[in-house]
Amino acid sequence: MKQFPDLKPNKADALAALAVLLLAAALGARLWTSPPGAAGAVVVSIDGAAVERVALGEWSRTYAANGYTVRVEATAGGVRVAASDCPTQDCVRTGTITRAGQSIVCLPARLVVTLTGAAEYDAVAG
Amino acid sequence: MTARRLATCAVLAALALALSYIEGMLPPPAPLPGFKLGLANIVTLFALCALGGADALAILLTRVLLGAMFASGATALLFSLLGGLAALGTMRVLSRVRALSIYGVSVGGAAAHHVGQVCAAMLVLGSAAPLAYLPVLLALSPLSGALTAFVCALLLRRARGFLPPREG
Ligand SMILES: [Zn+2]
Repeated sequence: MKQFPDLKPNKADALAALAVLLLAAALGARLWTSPPGAAGAVVVSIDGAAVERVALGEWSRTYAANGYTVRVEATAGGVRVAASDCPTQDCVRTGTITRAGQSIVCLPARLVVTLTGAAEYDAVAG
Repeated sequence: MTARRLATCAVLAALALALSYIEGMLPPPAPLPGFKLGLANIVTLFALCALGGADALAILLTRVLLGAMFASGATALLFSLLGGLAALGTMRVLSRVRALSIYGVSVGGAAAHHVGQVCAAMLVLGSAAPLAYLPVLLALSPLSGALTAFVCALLLRRARGFLPPREG
């Protein structure tokens, strides 16, 4: 790289950009393709440790995490953070997640709500 | 270190601090508070080109540590530290690749910046959940990286003659 560079990119730069895009696509395909089986259970983690695993259904639970209070609500089809007193409200704004493998993150509370498949839930419960 | 070199570093550190402060008021590119698009990478890239790796690192660390005093808490510090170090490290390595111009180096730095921030978020949460934001962030980085490179190239050409010689 020159100390006083040209204003135009070259072909190698285009290849570098393409490599980053391919990496994004590969990672996206891997993360966003649903694992087999429908979502069946909700796992709530605080500070990296799973504190609760509950089957999907009509329920509402409240968690205290790192000074914040987060209310998680589930239906038969998905789960959402219904209310939180965290300053940025990103967790509430994420809305409802419905596929196994998806998560809702509340960074201030260090709380993660993850949907898992029914099979994984049965394995834990049984 | 000459007085001129020190003065240049101080000005760049102040500029980087101002940029990351402005960036803190913009909406983050992922729904994680403290996450940044990488405006301050303009200064890192400029310093790397104009002054060299050691000065770029000193400017980066100054910006991150002073930024922590203004911004909120340890999480934001970890985000900017890991993001900034990943970006600088990657750009330092890529700057040795002769085929790449400042654009390729900058795109690599932008991508690494996001990877560093996602790693910081995973550390803070103790969960791999933030990985889900990485594909979109990576897809954005050719655009943000190219913009950073363009601004930098423009500034470097203007600053020619004022700058101390590059070291390392
Ligand atoms: Zn929240």
